[in-house]
Amino acid sequence: MKFLTVRNLKKVFHKGSESQTNALDGIDLEINKEEFIVISGPSGSGKTTLLNIIGGLDSPSEGGVDLEGTLITELSENDLALFRRKNIGFVFQAYNLIPVLTAKENISYVMRLLGCPKSVYDARTLEVARELDIDRYLDKFPDHLSGGQQQRIAVARAVASKPKLILADEPTANLDSKNAEKLMELMRRLNEEEKVTIIFSSHDPLVIKQARRSIVLRDGKIIEDVVCP
Amino acid sequence: MILLKMAFRELLIHKKRSVITVLLCAFSTALFIFVNALNDGSHKQLIRSSAETYPGYMQLTGRAFEDNPNYDNLIFDTPRIQNILKDQKWISAFSARFESYALYATDEQSIGGMFTAIEPESEAEVSRLKRSLVSGEYLSSKDTNALYLGVEFAKRLKVKVGDALSFISTGADYSFAADHLIVKGLFKTKLYEFDNSAAFVNKSYFDEVMHSTDSATHIIITPAEISQIDAVTQRLQKVVGGEIEVKNYKMILEDLVLAMKVDQIFSYITLAIFFVVIFFVVAIFAFLSVYARIRQIGVLRAIGTTPGQVMQLLLLEALILGIIGVGIGGAASAHATHYYEEHPISFGFWGDVEIEEYYKQYNMVAEVTIPTQYNPPKIAVEMLIMLMLNLASVLYPMIILRRFTPIEAMRHV
Ligand SMILES: Nc1ncnc2c1ncn2[C@@H]1O[C@H](COP(=O)(O)OP(=O)(O)OP(=O)(O)O)[C@@H](O)[C@H]1O
Ligand SMILES: [Mg+2]
Repeated sequence: MKFLTVRNLKKVFHKGSESQTNALDGIDLEINKEEFIVISGPSGSGKTTLLNIIGGLDSPSEGGVDLEGTLITELSENDLALFRRKNIGFVFQAYNLIPVLTAKENISYVMRLLGCPKSVYDARTLEVARELDIDRYLDKFPDHLSGGQQQRIAVARAVASKPKLILADEPTANLDSKNAEKLMELMRRLNEEEKVTIIFSSHDPLVIKQARRSIVLRDGKIIEDVVCP
Repeated sequence: MILLKMAFRELLIHKKRSVITVLLCAFSTALFIFVNALNDGSHKQLIRSSAETYPGYMQLTGRAFEDNPNYDNLIFDTPRIQNILKDQKWISAFSARFESYALYATDEQSIGGMFTAIEPESEAEVSRLKRSLVSGEYLSSKDTNALYLGVEFAKRLKVKVGDALSFISTGADYSFAADHLIVKGLFKTKLYEFDNSAAFVNKSYFDEVMHSTDSATHIIITPAEISQIDAVTQRLQKVVGGEIEVKNYKMILEDLVLAMKVDQIFSYITLAIFFVVIFFVVAIFAFLSVYARIRQIGVLRAIGTTPGQVMQLLLLEALILGIIGVGIGGAASAHATHYYEEHPISFGFWGDVEIEEYYKQYNMVAEVTIPTQYNPPKIAVEMLIMLMLNLASVLYPMIILRRFTPIEAMRHV
């Protein structure tokens, strides 16, 4: 059994109206553990929609997503929240840190929801922060940090609770090329050292070439799926 | 725990909104508690002054006396009952009365009015009759032929202290009774009708001329604890037996008690209207605060916060503000009601006369200084109500949030 299976996934927005959009038009995909995958494609090709459905944030019009035997497209709202908490780490384009929490609290938030004891989440937060070179900013609030710093904290938050899968929708889109490159390096290292599966989307050729497998979407369909050399 | 921390920080970031909410909450809590305490205090005082002026807190009569107030339905064994009453520790005072009618005659005219026997010493403990003296002297138990007369009645009879007049009446054995009387004292209560028709004599003298020894129309009783009056009424009824009827002021002053209930309801309605306004202000603040954070709440949901936990977060925020606000308001008003219980508030500036005139129409006794009633358990309940109301203010924002999926919320700007 594969780690993640996407079967005949379709997503239609505004069905039946003039502005009907087939955001996803029959996606079939199999993903192994510990892969480091980039999804690219022109604007509107369905990258965000695909990641959202895989992450249990959105529901498909047709088809299903199976993560290690859990058919996530069948879960209730509340079970989905618990599923995401336990299995998925998200990195968003707009960082989306919680402004009322410090960097440290942002990173440990999910672990705390999961009921980890303080000693455990404190140690893990520090460990991840060192890996991502953000241990100096741990007591700062997001407002006082640069975009690059915030995004590294967001990555730390996604990875800290050891989820099975990290989904990052254009994580570097708001960063300059230096910061973007640094972030990709870190993500790649996390993928190797933490053995976490990562799927991210991007437009940026410099970022895309960091991945080990490249999936290209167009009009809601996969037009290319290659393993990079 | 992390949710509590987030709730606190959120409130600290929006200090202005939090402070206004707390102040509104404190103010309405204080107002709610204080107005209710003042209402209770004024009602209690109204009862007290009405009951104490003359009717008394409790009274015993013959069983059939209410329907047929005649000489066949008297209390015929007054000493026996007084003996029973003497041993009851939940009674602080009692006194027998014999109410009758007489025709009073002066040289110039004859006027009918009440002719009532009282036991002067014990009467002073069950009513304010003695304290209502305005000229001359109150009665004593040695008096004969001495009359204690309402001022308005004296005006009609055109007599003053020291003047003589005579009466004609029917004795308890239906014999003819008549004697001369000297006006010993005049009294003035706040009940005009009463002052205009009531006249009292010493009971031992009355019993002689009216042949009413050992009989009484009423025995007036003051309970040791007025708040226990219903229990005392029940116990007393058992002790005195079925021939005697026990009533308390709630039955005697039925109209007054009803009027106070109506007054209470109107006061609640007024407060309710006021609270609706305050509630909406607080609810709008809560709504704005949530609306400004829909995106952030979307993120929280995305990374695994359940809808129930989001609800908890909002409730925690409301609870923190509510506890502070209700705490401040409750403490302030508890302090105030406690203080004004001992130092009644004077409403004299509204004009004593007008207030008295107003109450006179209802045959009530008006007071211009009103104490609050300090009642900690009631205050606690009222604080709890206000806290619940505060929590209810996040209801609407929560309903709004339910409409958003996490991604819709995250896209919200
Ligand atoms: N909530 C929505 N309502 C209606 N249409 C939507 C919605 N979300 C996405 N779409 C449409 O679905 C299609 C795919 O959108 P999606 O955001 O997945 O593309 P994308 O590849 O992420 O694009 P971009 O590179 O611009 O982020 C687009 O045509 C978009 O307009
Ligand atoms: Mg996108």
